[in-house]
Amino acid sequence: MLGTIRKVADGLISLSAAIGALGLVAETGIILVDVIGRAFGSPLFGSQDLITMTMVILVFGGMALCDRNGGHISVDLLERKFPSAVNRVIDITAALLGALIFGFIAWSVWDSAQLSVMLNLSTNLLGLPKAWFQWALCAFAALTALGMMLRALELIVSGRDIRKEWTQS
Amino acid sequence: MSASAIGLTGIVALLILLMLRIPVAFAMFLVGFLGIWQLNGWNAAMSLLSSETFTLASNPELVVVPLFILMGNVASHTGMSRQLYDAAYAAIGQVRGGLASATVIGCGGFAALSGSSVASALTMGKVSLAQMDRFNYNPRLSTGCVAAGGTLGILIPPSTGFVIYAILTEQSIGRLFLAGVLPGILLLTAFVTTITLICWLRPEYGPGGPSTTFAEKTQAMVRALPILLTIMLTIGGIYAGFFSPVEASGVGAGIAILYGVVTRRLDLKTFWNACQDSIVTTATVMLILIAAHLVNPFLALSHIPSAVGDFLNAMDLGVTGTLLVILAIYLVLGCFLEGFAMLVLTLPIFFPVILDLGIDPIWFGVLAVLTLEMGLISPPVGINVFIVKSVAPNVDLGEIFRGVLPFWTAMVVTLILLVAFPQISLFLPDTMIN
Amino acid sequence: EELKFASFTPPFHTINASVIEQLNEDLSAATDGELTVRGYHGGELGAGPVEQYVRAVQGAADMVWGLPGYTSSQFGKTMIVEMPNAIPLDTPGYEALWAAYEDHLKSEFPATKPLALWTSEPNIFIMKDAVIRQPSDLEGLKVRVAGSTAAKVAEALGATPVQMPINQVYNALQTGLIDGVITGGSTLADFRLDEVANSYTLGANLGRLAFYTVMGQGAYDALSDEHKAAIDEAAGMALSKSAEEGWYATSDAAIEAAREAGDNTFVDLSEEEAQAFEDAVADVVDAYVSDVNGEDALAAMRGE
Ligand code: NA
Ligand code: NA
Repeated sequence: MLGTIRKVADGLISLSAAIGALGLVAETGIILVDVIGRAFGSPLFGSQDLITMTMVILVFGGMALCDRNGGHISVDLLERKFPSAVNRVIDITAALLGALIFGFIAWSVWDSAQLSVMLNLSTNLLGLPKAWFQWALCAFAALTALGMMLRALELIVSGRDIRKEWTQS
Repeated sequence: MSASAIGLTGIVALLILLMLRIPVAFAMFLVGFLGIWQLNGWNAAMSLLSSETFTLASNPELVVVPLFILMGNVASHTGMSRQLYDAAYAAIGQVRGGLASATVIGCGGFAALSGSSVASALTMGKVSLAQMDRFNYNPRLSTGCVAAGGTLGILIPPSTGFVIYAILTEQSIGRLFLAGVLPGILLLTAFVTTITLICWLRPEYGPGGPSTTFAEKTQAMVRALPILLTIMLTIGGIYAGFFSPVEASGVGAGIAILYGVVTRRLDLKTFWNACQDSIVTTATVMLILIAAHLVNPFLALSHIPSAVGDFLNAMDLGVTGTLLVILAIYLVLGCFLEGFAMLVLTLPIFFPVILDLGIDPIWFGVLAVLTLEMGLISPPVGINVFIVKSVAPNVDLGEIFRGVLPFWTAMVVTLILLVAFPQISLFLPDTMIN
Repeated sequence: EELKFASFTPPFHTINASVIEQLNEDLSAATDGELTVRGYHGGELGAGPVEQYVRAVQGAADMVWGLPGYTSSQFGKTMIVEMPNAIPLDTPGYEALWAAYEDHLKSEFPATKPLALWTSEPNIFIMKDAVIRQPSDLEGLKVRVAGSTAAKVAEALGATPVQMPINQVYNALQTGLIDGVITGGSTLADFRLDEVANSYTLGANLGRLAFYTVMGQGAYDALSDEHKAAIDEAAGMALSKSAEEGWYATSDAAIEAAREAGDNTFVDLSEEEAQAFEDAVADVVDAYVSDVNGEDALAAMRGE
């Protein structure tokens, strides 16, 4: 059961990361087009709008994969001094706390997106609605929260630590 | 409980959470959120959580984070980093610790280019750590010198540290930049001396290689031309006014990708993997930055900074005494706070005290920025150490902090020299302006 | 009770004396010190100017100040006051804004109570190594702009508009990435642009920047009737006038210092020379006003 959920979750996490990576490619392209265009007297119209909003996608697109791969940094000075049961409790607590935090991020940004709609907020030159990017952030954050909950569940039920199954390329 | 008591409780709670191995970003989110909730209500906490997250995630100046990471990743995959370190090894590899010294100098150069310590530590870490590993350098030395070298970004001009100080205190940016030059060189020299001392005491930390002939040196240098050219185009483009330091990150990544495509060392799959790695590292770094920005309003609301200011005024310590106490406070605060947040919180309180005592604001700016740099590598919340950790996941954080210690000591020595001899900071601005 | 005023600029900024301390004085005087205002500077209550309005609505701070230009989509009609030629150079911006507020601008400030609306001193050309005497002098030059109408204004003058955050302008001017910026003289002091710019052109009506100070409706509603009355009394024209005069004073001092520095070129346009700039951008302004259905708002601002 958990194994099936893990497969679905990994699919979603990969999708999220792929969107983030596309954002990164786009970001590089936008800056290059802007810089080269400007040298010839025609900079990319609205480049600043595109740069800032693409940032949101590429920063949060990678959040779920970051947690899945154990990318979050903790102070490991005392890790070896703690008994392994303590370390396990800490790992589970940290995963649940992370899920709670990302859940709150999604919730608070969702509230703000409603306000953005009410205030008609959009970027200055291209008029891209701010709420679109807040909703995207919410979706990425919610996925990250779910991923963390699944990770905690795996640690509780089977002791499987998905983060250790990943090796850096 | 008074606001200050809540603030202190928050700091202690943060320390305990960190020691319990709660991820740094999570611990700061939790303490910041609960603290704001206590001091300014639920709506304020939710509002700041959402607005700080979105503001940081859409900050155009932070675009250097993902793009310099991408540049570093592509440079590793296409062999550019390898060629660069082969050249450095051929040139000074026979000297013990030579590669580490070269890396620190590279950090200084990159810092001069980007103005950002985060970008320096990330890019130099990506480019150099695996390479020093290849030549059997001890990870304690290699990660330590990248974490410390990266901090040069806010001292060596153009420096974001000075720009923020100048705008907060109405000082001249030009004078501050000039004032940072000699201290920057002094600190760089102190770092290289530190490396030399470490490798003299512990030769196995940075083993010397075989000596090379002139022909071998030339050959290695020629092979490193692509990356040297990339670096020169990126730096040159900034000074020629073709692009801003922020845009340089995109240009640098673009050139590295172009090189990979032309030499066919970068196929689509490798490129895609480099992009994925880059956004994962970006996520790590950005989440810490966002969390640090949530702790900032919490401490502001706790009024701890102004309580410290009142205390300082009441103590009446004279010029040197006050200066030393302020620097000591910066060193302690630096252990918990992100550097720029620290300037924003404390300068409004300390700066009038400095002016009252007749302390030169430019000189104080250099001292403040140097202590801020030290905060970037001071445990437990050393942002630069976390950044190096994010590009060297296999090295323990404790190992990096231990590696940083000698460099931190070198900074203390530099700080003492700068306090004792104000002319090191003031000579250039006084002679070159007015 | 202490109200929290969030500012994204340093404590030495003009806003502090002209608005925050002014409010604090007025409110404490009216309530025997029961109601005070405390400034949180430099983004202590949240970084950057973009989210300021939202912070007031959501209650991250009780009061905030900000620029409609950072979220121009919310402030379509308010932004008219920023346009070249919208109001004469010697008409105070705050008078124009309040004249139009009740009938035309109020709907752009939902969920808050505006305490002050004002404008900066008129925009000038702040250039490096380029002297501007007529629109054709801008041909091909790169000029930093903030919003979309400013970009169209720059284009109408023949310049290439470049979008960048104001805090990057110093470096960009220094390296020659941009040749200049069209903005108010107070930025010379606020962002130290006087150190890198060396040519200034004054006298054309190139518009100005608009500002607001608002109090969150929630924070206002939570006050006692007596305190509400004190706020009502402090808010409005007098506070706005204090703010605008503060901006003018900062700008005048900075421009005076730049003139005295001696190594700068100053071009003070005659009425005829200024007219050439105003003619060049007239279409852009008309198009904007009709785009936001702002003919009536503009007429109100002009006192017509
Ligand atoms: Na620098
Ligand atoms: Na620190």
